[in-house]
Amino acid sequence: MASANPVVLIIEDEPQMRRFLRATLRAHDYQVVEATTAREGLTQAAGRNPELVLLDLGLPDAEGLDVARALRRNSRTPIIVLSARGRESDKVAALDEGADDYLTKPFGAQELLARIRVALRHAALPPDAAPQPVFEAGDLRVDQVRRQVFRGSQEVHLTPTEYRLLAALIRHAGRVITHRQLLHEVWGPGHVDQTHYLRVYMAQLRQKLESDSARPRLLTTEPGVGYRLREDAPAGEV
Amino acid sequence: MAHSETERTRSGGRGPATEYAVAIAAVLVTTALGLALRPYLNTIDVAMLFLLAVVVVASRTRLGPALMTSLLSIAAFDVAFVPPYFTFHVHDADYILTFAVMLAVATLMSRLTARIRRQAEAAERRATAAATVSTLNQDLAGTDTRADLIAVAERHIGKAAGGRARIHVAEPFGQDGRDDAWLPDAAVADASARVAAMWSFQHGRLAGAGTDHCAEAEVLAVPLRSAARVVGVALVMPEGDDAALPECDLELLATLGDHVAIALERALLMAQHETARVEVEGERLRTALLSSLSHDLRTPLASIEGAASSLLQDGASLPGEVRQELTEAILEESRRMTRLVANLLDMVRVEAGTMAVRKQWQPLEESLGVALMRLEARLRHHPVDVDLPPDLPLVPIDELLIEQVFINLLENAAKYCPEGTAVTVTASRQTDGVIVTVADRGPGVPESEQARVFEKFHRAATAGADDERHGGGAGLGLTICRGIIAAHGGRIWVEPVAGGGAAFRFVLPLQGPPLAPMPAESFSSEAG
Repeated sequence: MASANPVVLIIEDEPQMRRFLRATLRAHDYQVVEATTAREGLTQAAGRNPELVLLDLGLPDAEGLDVARALRRNSRTPIIVLSARGRESDKVAALDEGADDYLTKPFGAQELLARIRVALRHAALPPDAAPQPVFEAGDLRVDQVRRQVFRGSQEVHLTPTEYRLLAALIRHAGRVITHRQLLHEVWGPGHVDQTHYLRVYMAQLRQKLESDSARPRLLTTEPGVGYRLREDAPAGEV
Repeated sequence: MAHSETERTRSGGRGPATEYAVAIAAVLVTTALGLALRPYLNTIDVAMLFLLAVVVVASRTRLGPALMTSLLSIAAFDVAFVPPYFTFHVHDADYILTFAVMLAVATLMSRLTARIRRQAEAAERRATAAATVSTLNQDLAGTDTRADLIAVAERHIGKAAGGRARIHVAEPFGQDGRDDAWLPDAAVADASARVAAMWSFQHGRLAGAGTDHCAEAEVLAVPLRSAARVVGVALVMPEGDDAALPECDLELLATLGDHVAIALERALLMAQHETARVEVEGERLRTALLSSLSHDLRTPLASIEGAASSLLQDGASLPGEVRQELTEAILEESRRMTRLVANLLDMVRVEAGTMAVRKQWQPLEESLGVALMRLEARLRHHPVDVDLPPDLPLVPIDELLIEQVFINLLENAAKYCPEGTAVTVTASRQTDGVIVTVADRGPGVPESEQARVFEKFHRAATAGADDERHGGGAGLGLTICRGIIAAHGGRIWVEPVAGGGAAFRFVLPLQGPPLAPMPAESFSSEAG
């Protein structure tokens, strides 16, 4: 488990953005280490051993993607990338390279803290941990031992592919998972570009698990990036 | 006009051989007639018959056959009718005069005839030329583009010259300063043709085959002369591989060249005028954008600065609810600016044509869902009914862009419709793609505005205070929609809704990268 006051490394060149991040994190009892360039960030990551890294993808001295790769090479420290809207391909590249999640600027303090909490919790689990026997979010309950899915008290029948897709989303619960990662996990490495498989099955899954599939609360779309299973989904009426 | 080039004209009428035959026949017929009528006629009457023959022939032929007729007539008359018969001897001096008169009449008549014929031919040629020039001008007037104009001109000049014409236009400012830079080497490989073209361009006169200059060239160069300068050259090549150009009316070609030049000049002036007009229009739009932007950007900035400075200065002494209100104002106004800036950036991409469309086959429901979630707060007073048929096909779209279209259309509905009115989103499969409708029950769009709502900076007159409250959008939302839909190969329009309201509809074509078939479900590991 993470220490009482986890160390967060901020690698961000914008002073005002650093100021906002620093203030918010300190107010929530995180210890903050700052770096303004990729080079400095990598040095700090090696020296201060942070428990989480917030990495801006628009650094002046290096591609965000390369920094994510370099950080990942040395540690399993969770990385949350920060970037502007319209740079989806950068985010996807960083996520596929091992970053854990992303935040699109501008974002609020709540979103930031929620992402950090999820990332720290996942990092605390051992890498080969068995899935928790029962997963619950909103009115969804999945018995991962018996492979049974319930909405409220009602059992929902899923096809094998639908179940594998749901199981992959549960493994990443709360975190974004890219199209490529999902395709790899559910259909195998030969199908990572067939995003329409994913979209069709996702639509089916929503039909079965959401009360309004046009307004998903549980299985949300991260436009241009992938999907996210929200653990904080409100329990709807069944 | 270059008169030195007019001599070579196509000869009209009968050939010379026929005319000489006519001359001989006329003399033979007259002689036979004279012999037959001899018992009833004086010798001088026979002379009159021959004179008549000379006049008739001379009035219809050239000088040569006319003179031959008179000489043959003299000979026949002398031999057959003047004693001593069947000799060329003449006893009576009177007949010498008769011969002289015959010769003089023949010469005069044929000269006269030749002149009349020349005038008639010239008049006919002028009429043909005028008709050709007039057809050319009609066709030139019907062209819209410079390329069309050149094609029409090449067709007409080629036809008039009996060959294949290529027009080379010298641009107003030679790019690399060389005189002949406008005439690409590739276009005129033959050196003599090139020399003819350049000579024609520099002197403003015809050159090449059939003219006085560079006559050894296979091609004919026709200068295109406007009032002020030579605009370019039309090069006429023979149709076949080793055929030569037929004889043709050089004066007509020169005239055609002049008319083409005038048309080219006019097209150039029109283009310059159009460029100037577009610049003025662009300037007007930029001014409108600046005033609209300065208002839209300053308003939220003023609120943010005001609220933040008050919090900083009096934060501790302010009641809790006031602090809360100021903080919320900062947040809302920042979000408003974020939307505005995003719209502006999208607009720049639409304008610059640099919008990258990354199409993937996907259900429309997903993009619509993201838009609905993002707009949840702003649509809280407008229930949105979504009705997408379950068998709607996947559509090849860029999800981020189509999401933006839904956001802009739904935002518009929220902005212009009274609170509590519903918005419906429907879609259906059509022959040419999937058609999506976002319909509201608001004031609708008047028919006169239906095309203009998609124009930049257009704001409905009904926006007013509502627009202010909801944060405006500089009148760019629908323009961005149109740009995005167009980039997908579709189109967008607005229709009235029966009973009041506006229906924004767009078609997304179903052409896209091919789809790999989906692997079948394997039921080896049964779930559920």
